[in-house]
Amino acid sequence: MLLRINSLNVQYGKTTALNITAPITIEKGDRIGVIGSNGAGKSTLIKSLLGIVNYSGSVDSTITPLDMAVHMQFNEYTDSMATKHVMEAILQTRIKKNRKLQELISYFEFEQCLNKKFKVLSGGQKQRFTIILVMMQEAELTFYDEVTSGLDFETRQKLVEKLVSWYQGREDGLCVVSHYFEELEQLTNKLLILEQGNVIAFGDKEELFNKYCGHAVIVIDNNQKNQLLIKEYEKLAAPNHLIALACHTREIESEITALLIQNDVNYKRSNSDIELIFINAKEHAAKGGIGNEKK
Amino acid sequence: MKKNKVSLRMIQYELRNVAGNPFVHIFGVGFPILLSVIITKAVAAEMPGSFYLGEVVTSIVLGIGAVIPMATILIGYSSTCSQDIEKNIPLRMQLFGFSEKYTIVNRLIAEFIYMTFAFLIYFIIVCSVLKLVAPAASGAIIYFVCIYIFAAVLFMLAHAIANLVKKFGLTYMITMIIYFAMMILSGMMGITVDKLPKGLRIASDLLPSTYFVKDFYTVWIGESYNFGPMIQSYIFFFAISGILVFIMVYNSKRNLH
Repeated sequence: MLLRINSLNVQYGKTTALNITAPITIEKGDRIGVIGSNGAGKSTLIKSLLGIVNYSGSVDSTITPLDMAVHMQFNEYTDSMATKHVMEAILQTRIKKNRKLQELISYFEFEQCLNKKFKVLSGGQKQRFTIILVMMQEAELTFYDEVTSGLDFETRQKLVEKLVSWYQGREDGLCVVSHYFEELEQLTNKLLILEQGNVIAFGDKEELFNKYCGHAVIVIDNNQKNQLLIKEYEKLAAPNHLIALACHTREIESEITALLIQNDVNYKRSNSDIELIFINAKEHAAKGGIGNEKK
Repeated sequence: MKKNKVSLRMIQYELRNVAGNPFVHIFGVGFPILLSVIITKAVAAEMPGSFYLGEVVTSIVLGIGAVIPMATILIGYSSTCSQDIEKNIPLRMQLFGFSEKYTIVNRLIAEFIYMTFAFLIYFIIVCSVLKLVAPAASGAIIYFVCIYIFAAVLFMLAHAIANLVKKFGLTYMITMIIYFAMMILSGMMGITVDKLPKGLRIASDLLPSTYFVKDFYTVWIGESYNFGPMIQSYIFFFAISGILVFIMVYNSKRNLH
């Protein structure tokens, strides 16, 4: 175990920003995706675990906040000097003498930025700069808070690919906050779903998918023709422009896909769609389902 | 990842930070030299060939020397520090494992190095342009010891103001007001302390900078001097800065469960 939140409550004035009542355990090697709407308490969770916001409750941990690394949502550095000097100061090393750092710089294609000041870097370069610093810390638990926000699609994709391959096979715990579900599909194996400061769900992606969506889901466009075609099947909550059909068994899945093929309807099949897990977990909680039931 | 140490690399980093701030070069190096040269030339023009000219020039140079820590540290450091705070850089550094305590020590050392460099330039230029009275060894030592103590207290004050206010604009305004008030009350702006109204004279006596302007020539040449009022002014200034630092520390504790 790296960290166990037994209970945690954060108040901003009279507002409860975060209220965790059931235990959440982060194990070595866990890759946890933290999702939720704006104001759900995602960043507050990270800040409280890092000790930068006050909380009440109890957290058991084999490591202290000083042993954790974090890529905050906004990371700024001094503009008085080139980034290489900032990097060498923070990492207490010389780039020329540190092979691992050289590798990371080259891995993230940051060589051309070393002589530039932080303020002139592009959004993607700024993110990569902090990622290099964070990765060099080799912390047992690392937080990435919206690491790709504000980046264009291509830069985002490249960055996530690099993160995925960097962390492959490593033992470090990872906690990734993101609004981009496709990133979490690649980076994480567990999910923590927060809504208005409460935990709606926590567990393995597969378990949560099974719990809230079934064995598999078939997704089709939401139009009148499709609505009529699948009216007999169980529908899940889904974005307005889509219809998501729950397949609790392989037989139902085969039946639905056969029907769609017969009627020439395009469909997408998934057994790990985080967006659908999120929407249906929220729906479940709104109907009175208990939040974090995994004990 | 604790990086709890005073290190050469961090001092270099902080020194780059200091040097990257244009305020310190303008107000900490250029301005005192200009002020010393202009004022002493003006005074010399009014008393040509006077026996006391050397004493007056030396007094002015020693007095204006106190502007260097006021500019490099009170204004320069507070502006760098508040700009960093606005950008959350101190928090970012803490999250990289740098304890605030050691960061402050690294910064103080960097500020002292820069200030020493500023004093070197100041004395090299004024000595090459003006004729100063040579100091007694004890006088020069006491002068610089007092300058560094004054600088350390100004550092506390600047750090506390920047951390309590947290905004560059407001911090800059407050430190500028303190800076000019100290210059006026210490007699650096043309009105000597004894010509100030009685109430302001009391305030003036509470400022260490006053003694650099008013009395330091006596110390400089090694004559006997009553340090009592000067020490009181340091204690007063230290107490004010200390209270502000205490409030600042109380407001910014990190919870390391």
